[in-house]
Order: sequence, then structure tokens, then C-alpha cells
Amino acid sequence: MLKFSSPRSAQTLVLILVAIGLVLLALGGYLTPATRLLLIPFVSVQTWVSTRYQAIQDFITTPNDVATLRQRNAELESEVGRLRTQVIALQQQVADNQVLTTLLRFVQDNPENQYVTAAVIGRDPSPFLHYVIINRGSDQGLRRGMPVVTQDGLVGRIAAVDSAAARVQLITDAASSINIRLQKSGAEAMLVGQVAGTVALQMIPQEAKIEVGDVVVTSGLGGDYPPNLLIGQVTGVRKRDYDIFQTASVQPLVDFRQLNIILVITNFQPVDIEALRP
Amino acid sequence: MPFLLSIPILAFVVILQTAILSQMPLLYGASDLLLIVLAAWSVRPRVQAYWFWGIVAVGLMTFVSSQPLWVTAGSYGAVILLALYLRRRIWKVPLLVMFAVVFAGTLFSHLLSVINLWLTVSLPPVFDVFNQITLPSLLLNLVLALPVYVLFGDLADWLYPEELTV
Repeated sequence: MLKFSSPRSAQTLVLILVAIGLVLLALGGYLTPATRLLLIPFVSVQTWVSTRYQAIQDFITTPNDVATLRQRNAELESEVGRLRTQVIALQQQVADNQVLTTLLRFVQDNPENQYVTAAVIGRDPSPFLHYVIINRGSDQGLRRGMPVVTQDGLVGRIAAVDSAAARVQLITDAASSINIRLQKSGAEAMLVGQVAGTVALQMIPQEAKIEVGDVVVTSGLGGDYPPNLLIGQVTGVRKRDYDIFQTASVQPLVDFRQLNIILVITNFQPVDIEALRP
Repeated sequence: MPFLLSIPILAFVVILQTAILSQMPLLYGASDLLLIVLAAWSVRPRVQAYWFWGIVAVGLMTFVSSQPLWVTAGSYGAVILLALYLRRRIWKVPLLVMFAVVFAGTLFSHLLSVINLWLTVSLPPVFDVFNQITLPSLLLNLVLALPVYVLFGDLADWLYPEELTV
């Protein structure tokens, strides 16, 4: 017969046995109805208390959150604005870089010339005149009459020079006339600008065979431009038997509305033939 | 003060014109901001420094443009003269004067440009010039006339405050 040293030890043992018994009953699933019965009101009360607490906490803290969120939103909007500006600047740099790379390739392909690169910073205010203003002048060695090109072809020539800027007369200007040669037939003619910003070929000999797509290059005659600078392609020919000369329209290779960076050929000195003219 | 202000203001206008407005053509036409500014300035009843502003405008334009001096001086001089004439005749509706001056000034300016081309190169096709250059330029100038009128009206009111008689 077991003997307990004290009644307290016997109580402890009984409690342990009861606890073990309850655990075993719970593990066996016999206590589930009883626990459900107890849990439902408990959970309901807890939910009620928790909801009220959440509401009170929201009431107290929400104004602060709105202020914080507004501040954060303003910060983020400012950050987005800054990043957008950066993206635009980078896109501009990429575009400039592409143009400069193409120009560099052009310079490498034409090593006989010396170039000064310049950016177009303005256009003549008069819609009747086709001139652009560039950010290089006599300080960089530019002189009146120097030819101006891009990687696509001839742009024009310098009409006026200041110390830090120069004005370039485009080949589309109505006062511009250039001696050209049609590459395929070898026929020589004159390319003149039109007031609407287009160019046309004049004084083409009647016997010259010209076709649409013929490439037009400078002939070098007259001494205003070096020979063999690309200008454009013939897009239409007008030949009438009773005319002395044929005429043709030309599509320049340079897009004059998108002119951003240009090259000035600095080692070409135009010849002044004014004194030789009768 | 109005004399001194003319140089920085008109220089800024010329920069805006050559760097931005001339790069935004409509067909082959472009607006002439300097002409509009001179019109907006000269039509205000109390403005007095109009000739000085005209001289500064002609000087700046001759500096940046290949247009001969006589074309620029003729155009801007005509704009100021017309504004002075009309502001006395139609003094109750200065906005109408503004539109009339810009309209007539643009046409006259283009007429002088065509004459210049005729004298120096050859007569350009007048119908094409009118359709592709003058009409779009006219539209752009009239669109810009209202904001420029308001802006330079405020400037004129600030520089020439109304005298109150007690």
C-alpha cells in the first residue's frame, strides 16, 4: 500500500493525473464539443473588444497617419519629378551621343577635311529666310564661306561670323545657288533654294539623261564648295522640248527641321571670283 | 525706366523667338513675337517710349537675322505708326486695335519680305507664299496676340500708372 508523506503530495498527484487525463481526452477529440462551447462566447467577446480598441486607436492615430502619408506622398512625387527630369536628360544625352557617334564616323570616313563641331542654337526669325545660328564663331576658327555638313550631306555655308556664334545659310534658302553634278550621268547643273524651304535643279542641259533617284553632289565649280559633297536625290524631272534647259526637283538628304549638331569644314577656303565676273 | 527695361525685355523676346518660336513653324510660316510685343506695347494709351522700343527691336533683329535693315525697320515702324494712329481713333477697344495692328503689321511685313526677295533673288510665287507662309504666320501671330497683349498691358500699367484727379 502506497503511503504519502503528506496530504499535499496526494493532491498534487491527483491534479497531475487529472491533467494528463484531460490532455489525453483532448488528443482523442473527446473534449471538442466542450471546448467549442467555451470558445464561442470567448471569441465573440474578444472580437468585440478588439474591434472597439481598433476603432479607438484609428480615431486617435489616423490624423497623424494622413499627415505622414501626405508628406510621404509629396516626397515621392518630388522624387518622381526629379527622376523624370533625369530620364529626359539621359534620353537627350543618348540622342546627342548617337548623333555625335554618327558624326565621328563621318569624320573618320572623310579624313581629308578638318571639322569643327557646332550646335544649332537658333533659327532666323523671318519665315522667308532659311538660316540657322550656331554656337561657334571666329574664336573657334570659323570664317565666312566655310561649308557646313552633317553625316547625311551638305547643309549650307557660313554667311556671317561673330566671335562666339555664326549664321549659316542653308541650301534651302532662296538666295542659295550651288553648282552640282549628277553622279550617274555626270551632267552639271545649278541647285537653287526655294522660298518654301525646298530645293530644285535648274540649268540642266537638254541632252543630259536624268532619272528619278539620281544622286546629286557638289561639283566644286565656282569655288564656293568642295567637290563631291552629297546633297540629295532627284525626285522629279521636267523636260519640255521648247525649253533651253531641263529642271528637276531634289529631296535633300539632310532633314533641315531636325538640325541639331553640324560640322563646319575649316580647311576649305572658298575662292572669291567676283573680280573675274564681267 | 521704360527705356532701360526695353533692352533686357526685347533681348529675351528675341532669344525666345530664335530659339523656340522659329523652330515651331506652321506649314512654312512662323510667328513674329517681336512684332506682336511692339504692337502690344504701342497700343496702350499711356505708353510713351514706343519709338525707343522700336529702335531697340530693329537693332536686335538686325543683329540676329539676315533680313535687311530696311525690311525690319519698315515693318516695325509701320506697326508702331499704325498702333499710334488706331489707339487715338478706337481708344475704347484697345484689344481690337491690337488685333488690327498685328493683322495689318504681319501682312505689311511679309509684303516687304517678298519685295526684298524680288529685288535680291527673284519674285517668289506669290500665291504659294500667301498660302504656305503668310496665312499660317498670320494665324500664329493672332493666337499669340492675346496673351502678349495681357502681359505687356500689365507691364505698361505698372510703368505708366493712371493719374487720379481729385
